Amino acid sequence: MLLDLSEEHKEHLAFLPQVDSAVVAEFGRIAVEFLRRGSNPKVYEGAARKLSVSSDTVQHGVEGLIYLLTESSKLMISELDFQDSVFVLGFSEELNKLLLQLYLDNRKEIRTILSELAPDLPSYHNLEWRLDVQLASRSLRQQIKPAVTIKLHLNQNGDHNTKVLQTDPATLLHLVQQLEQALEEMKTNHCRRVVRNIKILKSSFSWC
Amino acid sequence: MELSEYVQKGFQMLADPGSFDSNAFTLLLRAAFQSLLDAQADEAVLDHPDLKHIDPVVLKHCHAAAATYILEAGKHRVDKSTLSSYLEDCKFDRERIDLFCTEYQNNKNSLEILLGSISRSLPHITDVSWRLEYQIKTNQLHKMYRPAYLVTLNVENTDSGSYPEISFSCNMEQLQDLVGKLKDAEENQERHRGLWELAVLARARRRTLPFESVTHRF
Repeated sequence: MLLDLSEEHKEHLAFLPQVDSAVVAEFGRIAVEFLRRGSNPKVYEGAARKLSVSSDTVQHGVEGLIYLLTESSKLMISELDFQDSVFVLGFSEELNKLLLQLYLDNRKEIRTILSELAPDLPSYHNLEWRLDVQLASRSLRQQIKPAVTIKLHLNQNGDHNTKVLQTDPATLLHLVQQLEQALEEMKTNHCRRVVRNIKILKSSFSWC
Repeated sequence: MELSEYVQKGFQMLADPGSFDSNAFTLLLRAAFQSLLDAQADEAVLDHPDLKHIDPVVLKHCHAAAATYILEAGKHRVDKSTLSSYLEDCKFDRERIDLFCTEYQNNKNSLEILLGSISRSLPHITDVSWRLEYQIKTNQLHKMYRPAYLVTLNVENTDSGSYPEISFSCNMEQLQDLVGKLKDAEENQERHRGLWELAVLARARRRTLPFESVTHRF
């Protein structure tokens, strides 16, 4: 599958062959850093001064690179497809090689970053438990009431959240049984068949 | 067990055969238990023809006093001898003391269940549901191809009467981790169950009233 680069995008990337490969490599490093931590306009100004161009030009170059990397990573295009997509830009072979290497080196990390953009539910992080026995309360003395106290750690959008909950021994057993069934489900013929068939579909259609 | 003057006065009136004959006493006593334990009970519990001759103010006073005493006795899990001696101090005759003790004994379990259910507690997990999905793509990321679970815990919040749900996603490894930890807790709980049961039996032997079933407490 080839990338479809717009005219504007091609124009922005046209800056890259005008600087030497060390600079392009540096832009690549900046692009990935911006993907990790967000952009920092001061960096553009610094680079613009050193290269004697406007900071807009630098910004477009870096952003063009970012878009190239994220689109390629998102679609998980093959090496060959990446090379063919970049070929239309008319860059030197050395530059093409550099861009390909940049893509291959960073795509796993970029995909991880992109996966964090998905509609997000809190995700499981950790669980702590404690066994308690209630001995008395204001309304009733001399009790012996076992309970399990649970601290559930969840992550959402980078925020760490904890919930403290309680349950009784019977419900705990029920929870374990239900969730074990959930795990077993992935091993059933039905699920294996679906996964296998999707993989087959995936290799025969590139849109998948 | 400290009871207010109001309660003590009400009780003393209840002991007086001049204010309450045997029949009226029995009715009022049963009405007190009923008000506490029957969810559907209302003020009509005192509307009995055999109680009509008694001044309604006195009736309400004694009903409140009896109910208060019953709750205090239940809270402290008093035994028969403590019950009897307090009633003797209030000048109840033997017959009324025996009746009170019998009624108390009949209703003791329900009373303790009721009192045990009144408490501040953490949100309580009541059930779990799960969903298994196979993720193919999002608009940000194509070709994902991975299984994912969505787990929802049904939670009951007795304090606020609300039933919030806690949902979270996890992959296979995370769910295995979660199940592993819950199983750990469950195994430890089983291992210590012998201890709680021993403790319950030990408590039972100290009591003089016959002790019925133990397991309902759990």
